[in-house]
Amino acid sequence: MSKAGLIEQERYTCAIGAMQTVVAIPKAVPILHSGPGCGEMIAGFFERSTGYAGGYTSPCTNFSEKEVVFGGINRLRDIINNSYKVLDTDLQVVLTGCTAGIVGDDVDSLVFEFADEGKPIVSVETAGFKATNYEAHSLVVNAIIDQYVSRFESDNKPKSEKNTVNLFASIPYQDPFWKGNLAEYKRLLAGIGLKANVLFGPESGGVKEWQTIPRAAFNILVSPWYGKEIADYLKTKYGQEYTWFHHIPIGANQTEAFLTQVLEFAIQEGAEVDERKAREFIKHESRVYYEEIDNLATFLLEFRYGLPNHVHILHDAGYVVALSKFLLHEVGIIPKEQFITDATPEKYQEAICDDLKSTSDKRQIPLYFEPDAGNAQEILRKIQHKGRGLIIGSGWDKELAKEKGYDFLSAAIPSPYRLILTSNYAGFTGGLRVIEDIYHIVLSTYA
Amino acid sequence: MNKEIRQIAIYGKGGIGKSTTTQNLTAALAESGKKVMVVGCDPKADSTRLLLGTLAQRTVLDTLRETGEDVELDNIMRTGFGGIRCVESGGPEPGVGCAGRGIITSIGLLEHLGAYTKDLDYVFYDVLGDVVCGGFAMPIREGKAQEIYIVASGEMMALYAANNIAKGIAKFAQKGGVRLGGIICNSRNVDREKDLLRAFCAELGTQMIHFVPRDNLVQRAEINRKTVIEYKPNSQQADEYRQLAKAINENDYFIIPKPMSQERLEEILLEYGLMESLKDDYRI
Repeated sequence: MSKAGLIEQERYTCAIGAMQTVVAIPKAVPILHSGPGCGEMIAGFFERSTGYAGGYTSPCTNFSEKEVVFGGINRLRDIINNSYKVLDTDLQVVLTGCTAGIVGDDVDSLVFEFADEGKPIVSVETAGFKATNYEAHSLVVNAIIDQYVSRFESDNKPKSEKNTVNLFASIPYQDPFWKGNLAEYKRLLAGIGLKANVLFGPESGGVKEWQTIPRAAFNILVSPWYGKEIADYLKTKYGQEYTWFHHIPIGANQTEAFLTQVLEFAIQEGAEVDERKAREFIKHESRVYYEEIDNLATFLLEFRYGLPNHVHILHDAGYVVALSKFLLHEVGIIPKEQFITDATPEKYQEAICDDLKSTSDKRQIPLYFEPDAGNAQEILRKIQHKGRGLIIGSGWDKELAKEKGYDFLSAAIPSPYRLILTSNYAGFTGGLRVIEDIYHIVLSTYA
Repeated sequence: MNKEIRQIAIYGKGGIGKSTTTQNLTAALAESGKKVMVVGCDPKADSTRLLLGTLAQRTVLDTLRETGEDVELDNIMRTGFGGIRCVESGGPEPGVGCAGRGIITSIGLLEHLGAYTKDLDYVFYDVLGDVVCGGFAMPIREGKAQEIYIVASGEMMALYAANNIAKGIAKFAQKGGVRLGGIICNSRNVDREKDLLRAFCAELGTQMIHFVPRDNLVQRAEINRKTVIEYKPNSQQADEYRQLAKAINENDYFIIPKPMSQERLEEILLEYGLMESLKDDYRI
């Protein structure tokens, strides 16, 4: 949960922001049992995030005083019924806002009535005071597994497909590169012989794919902390073990490490993969990558003017650690003070620190867990390093970069100065894309 | 004369006789020529039954639910015994919605509709059991009731509740002008009730404003949907309520209560609640 008191520039939302988790499932619709402002806030925060029936089109009970006093169940019943009349959806997920949570509307019973009639409907309590959207993402996914996926268990025997895996990585929309990243993970995993259920976005098979979650032989978690509860839940529910890669694999070093870890785990879990072919695939991908690094090296050597030599990143833990490792080892930009803005629960912080520490035994990278990004900016304002600097953060950091005379790359939300559609930062190609983005910005300063 | 309306809230443990006491008390005040309004703040909507001689009138919230925002004062206010204006806030169905918010909504609506007219001498809020949440504290928040009376008896749980309510009052008194005017003892005929109540009041720093003895006449009047004042105006019990009304009318002793710890409350109960002579006698 977020820290108590007032904070500035929160780069995540309250629990109901996990409606984006629903929006990211093809033909799924979030139904909000909340005040009219909740969906509006989420749509505004994430921008360009409508999907099939999200954004301003999500059905909502517009919970107001009347519903507070008398309860909003009847209104919710109407909204659900009416949604069936006008929207052709494969999955409906009812999400509750704060007011419904305080009043104590019995949403579960109502949703059960519809589920009992065979409707593909699920309810999940996402009262804003309960959690952040990083945490609520797991609540939503687990609720769908519990209330929807479980209905299809008889046709989907647990662990019945040796080479199938479920992947839990990017949080849709909170990770602006989620779509591209998931597609890239899927491609890479296919390369080593695994069929990955990515569950979100156009590369997933929608609810049909969700139904087959139990079949997977094991699961892959790519995250410093968020989503871990999903992997844990599936482990208890279907006995699926998981392999956990703690940050986003960006560039060759980390992607090779990631794929090797998954490959070895797959073999251990009894997947029938051709190890030689898989390693060949990794080598090939790597070769393609290094050809470009060669070009980058030439460029860096030849370029006679100023280029950034250090970087500050304001992002979630997955990106901060991943980009630090990547930029230090593969691009030569030195990570200085870093800021994790995702309100990481305390119990995960130590492991994240250690992961970042393992980046280099020669230099310390100062790390701040700072859900108050206004505070992070204050700290940055007072820090001076020699040479040209780079800030990678959300659009809200643009002004700060300008103030400091730093280069600025927008790579976190909110992202008003950049349109991200299907680009990926994960994987070999993701690393190249990061390089392109950084030097595109740097070079555009030379007119 | 430019006079203030005296706004009074009556609290007390559920079932202690708040509504009965409030209605008899207000009937006595009306009898003496006072202009009174009673606002029932209980989802059960049974605070004005004896004054109206009929089972629950249409409540504010029922009206809001059925006819929407466009409500006239006449829709929700009825006149009962002695010209007393009666309003029931009402509430949602049991187990649904938020009754506390319902109270806030309906008091807000009463203000908006101009129910608090200048000619009123008294407004009484008859509030459900305990101050369970912010909504039920509405009548004692800034700008509403300034005086509170707690109905209690010599029973242990009634005193627990009274002490708890005193905590709520003490909290609101820090910010506003709300004060405790006294404890009304609605007798249950328990051992040394008067002494116990006096000691309890002294500890809180308040007074026992009146001791209302137990009398079956009250029940008989209730069955007939009447206050005792109306049902048997010449009875001793009617006079008791008149004395209570007089005491409240003349009361000028208002304090911020000093609620006691559970331990202290237990001590007082032990001291007064046990009589040596009855020690071994458990006959019912």
